[in-house]
Amino acid sequence: MMPGPFAGEARSRLLPMSVPFRYFGAAVVFQILAWTLLARHADQLAGFAGGPSPLLGALHLVTLGVLAMTACGASLQLLPIATRQPVRSVAAAKLAWWLLVAGVVLFALGALRYHPPTMGVGALVALLGLAVYAWLLAENLRRARGMRVVVAHAWVACCALLLTLASGFALAQGYVHGFRFDRAALALAHLTLAAYGFMGMLALGLSYFLLPMFALCPAPGPRSGYASLGAAASAIVIVVIGQLSEAGPGPLGVAALLGLAAALSHIVPMELALRRRLRPALSPSFLLVRVSWAMLLASLVVALASALGWGYPRVAPLFGLLLVPGWLLSFNLAVLQRIVPFLASVHAYGSGRGSTLPSTLTSEPLLAAHRALHLLALAGLLLAVALDITWLARSATLVGLAGALAFAAFFLNVVQRLRAARTQPPTTGESP
Amino acid sequence: MSHARQICRRLHEEHLGTLDLWGKIEQACGARTRPESELVALLRRGAAEAALELERHFAFEEAELFPRLAEAGEADIASLLEEEHGTIRDAARGFIELARGIGEGEAPPPPLRRLALELAERLFAHVQKEEMALLPLLDDLLDEATDESLVMIYSGN
Repeated sequence: MMPGPFAGEARSRLLPMSVPFRYFGAAVVFQILAWTLLARHADQLAGFAGGPSPLLGALHLVTLGVLAMTACGASLQLLPIATRQPVRSVAAAKLAWWLLVAGVVLFALGALRYHPPTMGVGALVALLGLAVYAWLLAENLRRARGMRVVVAHAWVACCALLLTLASGFALAQGYVHGFRFDRAALALAHLTLAAYGFMGMLALGLSYFLLPMFALCPAPGPRSGYASLGAAASAIVIVVIGQLSEAGPGPLGVAALLGLAAALSHIVPMELALRRRLRPALSPSFLLVRVSWAMLLASLVVALASALGWGYPRVAPLFGLLLVPGWLLSFNLAVLQRIVPFLASVHAYGSGRGSTLPSTLTSEPLLAAHRALHLLALAGLLLAVALDITWLARSATLVGLAGALAFAAFFLNVVQRLRAARTQPPTTGESP
Repeated sequence: MSHARQICRRLHEEHLGTLDLWGKIEQACGARTRPESELVALLRRGAAEAALELERHFAFEEAELFPRLAEAGEADIASLLEEEHGTIRDAARGFIELARGIGEGEAPPPPLRRLALELAERLFAHVQKEEMALLPLLDDLLDEATDESLVMIYSGN
């Protein structure tokens, strides 16, 4: 591989390609493992309510292995552009990846074998990896200039990450040594902090930067961004305090309403901005973005209904499905579909031919197959849990696995095409 | 995004104009129902823009802005954008030649459509990078006096 002018430049805000791509590559592999595990234990899905089990392993393969992994890789590369500050240490970014990968593998193995001590060690190693990442994130944000809405969301995500680590550590300790708190309340606080707090705030914050860039439209004004952030942060604080003080369902209802207000304050201005785009064609990846927004709203409606006393027996897995694969995974995959070829095209630079076009690095049929399979799997899983149909759950997870394999093929194809583009003569400027 | 410096606002407005025109060209090249005469008119506008405005924009950035970026330790971004200028110029040359060769009442040949689509995508990607990385950096780097002198230079005074 030909070293580009970025190599070895400490001031550069563009990381070596191997850094974000190792995170994205790991996310691709963990997604396959998560769907595989889910397919093998699909019969337990409708009754899942946490606790050491293969499904807890599958959940963390998605949350830590795919979502956090992608969030780390994407934010390490994209926040320096938004904040105009380089990453403090590339070595630390690599160390965080090693720790996170090792932690996720150990945690999933422990959960698969119903072995809390192994889960505890895995959680601890993953926490160390995320702590290194949190330091890198905080260092970058501390010196940030520009894009204040993005930076404000990232600060909330950083605080939520620290609380996620603390609650995760308490849960891991509880599984090994016994719980001193209400396990379900602590687990809900942990899920809220991780999903809506850390990953959610990064997803919403980076959207103000990424979606206008992808759609070539103006970014929504900062007022709605701050309103959304304020409502979301308040909702998260209310859930955590409410759960830890065992205050009952009242605070959960208030938090769900605030969450809905936050989500609408984000989605509506974003949709209005998208309508003002300057490039008429909108990438098909926006279908996944829009589905993810619908799932975010649905997760909050289910949370509100549950707080109001909706006695549906499978509300917990339904809520989890809407939140994790529905909102966060769909959004992550939509973003990955665009930033993987985009970053690869930037890294093709230095060969004397200008950056290779992202479209020439992208296999649209593979992405179309992935989108169809992912959405089909999601719909199947929601229906299977809602109606408690085991065969449908198993079929849906197999479709999800096929989707994950299609996504992996897309990722490998980008890397292969990039290598080919770097070794072939320029094809630009067709002769008249 | 609002920019603190006049020169950034000026470049941003030109980016919007480029996106608007090439967005229409991209859409027209992909649409089968549009009258060919409309597409030909758009392609000719694109060729005129590429020959004059785009070249002026690029030359100014290369002469006045990229060296300042390099001095400020952002040589990587400057050289990436300059390399893209070269690629866009290559594609634009072929496009302009083909667009100027269309006779009255003739349909645009397929190679011209392909080249127009390629140029549109290259311009979209380039504008994305300049909006994302170049203009915010210039907002930070330039002081008021330099900003004013750059606006004068760009205006040709």
